[in-house]
Amino acid sequence: MSDVLTFVLPALLQLVLVLVLAPLICGIIGKTKARFQHRQGAGILQPYYDLAKLLRKEVVISSVASWVFRCTPYLVFASTCLIALLVPTVVVPLPLDRVGDIITVISLFALGRFFVALVGLDTGSAFGGLGASREMSIASIIEPAMMLAIFTAAVTAGSTNLSIIVAKLSSTPASMMNPAHLLAFSGLFIVTMAETGRIPVDNPDTHLELTMIHEAMILEYSGRYLAFVEWSSQMKLVIFLALLSNMFFPLGMAASMSPWALCVGGAAFFAKVIVLAAVVAVVESTNAKLRLFRVPELLMVAFILSLLALILYFIIGA
Amino acid sequence: MTTKRRYIALIRKNLGDRLNIREGVAPNELYLSLRRESLGTLPETCSLLTRSFRANFTTLVANDERSLNGTFVLSYVFSVPTDDLFLILQVPVEPRHMEVPSVSHVLESANWFEREVKDWFGIVAFPNIYRLASHPDWPEDVHPMLKDFDPQTSVPRVRGSFDFKHVEGEGVFEIPVGPVHAGIIEPGHFRFSVAGEPIINLEIQLFYAHKGTEKIAEGMSPQRVVFLAERISGDSSFGHAVAFCHCMERLSRCEVPRRAAVIRTMLLELERLYNHTGDIGGILLDVGFAAGAAVALELKERLLQLNELLTGSRLLRGVAAIGGVRRDPEDTPLKRQALADMLVRGRQAFEDLVSLVMSSSSVLDRLETTGILSHTDAYRLGITGIAGRASGMNRDFRRDHPHCAYGPLTFRVHTSGEGDVLARMRVRIDEVRESFSIIEQLQLQDPGEPARTGVVTVPPLQQALGYVEGWRGEIVHWAMTDAEGNIFRWKITDPSFHNWRAITVAVRNNIIPDFPVINKSFNLSYSGNDR
Repeated sequence: MSDVLTFVLPALLQLVLVLVLAPLICGIIGKTKARFQHRQGAGILQPYYDLAKLLRKEVVISSVASWVFRCTPYLVFASTCLIALLVPTVVVPLPLDRVGDIITVISLFALGRFFVALVGLDTGSAFGGLGASREMSIASIIEPAMMLAIFTAAVTAGSTNLSIIVAKLSSTPASMMNPAHLLAFSGLFIVTMAETGRIPVDNPDTHLELTMIHEAMILEYSGRYLAFVEWSSQMKLVIFLALLSNMFFPLGMAASMSPWALCVGGAAFFAKVIVLAAVVAVVESTNAKLRLFRVPELLMVAFILSLLALILYFIIGA
Repeated sequence: MTTKRRYIALIRKNLGDRLNIREGVAPNELYLSLRRESLGTLPETCSLLTRSFRANFTTLVANDERSLNGTFVLSYVFSVPTDDLFLILQVPVEPRHMEVPSVSHVLESANWFEREVKDWFGIVAFPNIYRLASHPDWPEDVHPMLKDFDPQTSVPRVRGSFDFKHVEGEGVFEIPVGPVHAGIIEPGHFRFSVAGEPIINLEIQLFYAHKGTEKIAEGMSPQRVVFLAERISGDSSFGHAVAFCHCMERLSRCEVPRRAAVIRTMLLELERLYNHTGDIGGILLDVGFAAGAAVALELKERLLQLNELLTGSRLLRGVAAIGGVRRDPEDTPLKRQALADMLVRGRQAFEDLVSLVMSSSSVLDRLETTGILSHTDAYRLGITGIAGRASGMNRDFRRDHPHCAYGPLTFRVHTSGEGDVLARMRVRIDEVRESFSIIEQLQLQDPGEPARTGVVTVPPLQQALGYVEGWRGEIVHWAMTDAEGNIFRWKITDPSFHNWRAITVAVRNNIIPDFPVINKSFNLSYSGNDR
């Protein structure tokens, strides 16, 4: 019984939180971008309606599609849900922190990416192949940059376990302003923009197939398959924002399961994610998309920032 | 007209042995008819004309005159920008031997024109025998523009498939795009051969939007054809309508009232304004700079609403008429005020937009060196309008062949040497500024005067050119009337027809994701091209 209370229930609550929050955050980003374009924009609840609509709609599948095409939406959704259980959101220590650490998170993302890229190739459409090849070539630079940024935090805490990283940082708030820490944060922010398919790396709003990366791979999806893939992408954004906020600024996180602490923790998490989402929207609105061959340069910046962070850590310490 | 005399003397002296010279109805047209026995010298004559008079190939018109004199006539139209003159080289073609030597090797800009003539009339410009306008499932021997082809006949489909140039090699693959696109775009098929991201070759298949406009017009009264002309290409509704009216007026030696010319000029500039601002917005949208695009598209909308207020039509339709214009856009204080407001606030909004765009390094980085069309290629392919001027082609019908009220106006023709997407955007920006200044100069010129002459009777069996510098480039119409004064043959030349080939050259060695913005920077009309 106590197991249920201390592990299963909080874990489920965390999953539900990410599942429910994800469309809202995308709605807020969409609304902010619309205001930058002098538009009224759709309501912030629009992504929920879109998901509900897609879940009800018929699925159209290309006659040449294989089992990969049918399985991938569920696989990506499941792996993203699993990641949602592993990242710090409201409370530390994480209920399931012994199940997997930050390496697990990165690997699960890679798993999802691998299958989505396969789907791009599976239907035989020219755009899917184009998207898959772009995604994989960009991923080969995103992943090292992401690992390096995260390792800076891990080295500081002396562990790759996210709960320990967060706990260590919470106990020494001064180290949040450590230059190494801030550099790693910037590196991971650039990685977030690239990984979640945002301008300046990819344009989530475009109709131009020739310029797409992520959208090109999932172009053939419809109905509930599309709903699951879209929902996973939205969750991925929230997960990255959660990593950014809690791995670097774990302020206000609940340290116990008391209702009051949970309320404060929840409010703090919500506020941090919304601020970051607004920053994402501002970056997206004030920049044009990069030329595809310039994307590696941007990601190299992220890589160098993370590398500098790591070097700084060893020079001046945490 | 002394310059014309000079040209006649010069041509007679040098080419008198192979062609006859005749003056046209319109004062700046010179008809040169190549004698039947000199047909073999056609390519040489064309190249002599272009080189010795710095003339530009403007259009090629085929005309089925079998009912009149038993032959077909091909007219190669050249514009001489230095002396505001058009040289029209006419070549008779016997129905028994429907073949002329191709001029494409000396005049590459004539390539598509020759192929279109082959598809629609069956006149082969040997050896340029490739199809262009009729698709492979259309029978080889059916030529819809012949007078004895009834447009109501249903033509059987034959088996055939598109034949694209294949690039082979390791890692080279083809990407087919269209003809149905995402978004609200006209139909066209693009076949890319790419090695990874860089484009090795692009083949374009158009004519999905062919409506048979030229054929429908045959036998129609010119007054009705004005409405047809407005529907050739939506974004150039007014340009095409004025080009056609201009053609009919020149053909009937009718002088339009000064006020009408002023209004036409003003509306042509308003058409240029809304299209240029819209294109700037489109380019920004294609590089993902939605915040800048929103500003541009908002200004475009305001210009369209101004059009509606001034003329009753957002696209300036229903205004042009043979002999003048139907409406005066400055006839009420409200309209005058709206126009004056646009000149102040619109200008300000536009300058704000320009400073927003030009200060965004991420936008400039996308536009610079993207989709370069070299001056050599632009000259070779005869690229017109903004696309040509951005590649250093100093041509503009507003200055070279003054029409409407452009003659006495002061304005500059802006060119740029770079030929990239940014150059095409810069030329647009400069032209928008000129357009504001032109409208300012024209504001309240001869207000209240009649803007249309009485009923214009169009004389029978006459031919003339009509032209306008539309926002995209030179719009040239050529028409001939039949014995009743109705349209016998109408040839429409939209600038897009010249410029589509530029895209295939400009995208080479660029990367696939830059294609949309390169395409947008030309913004060519499918409808105007396919007619």
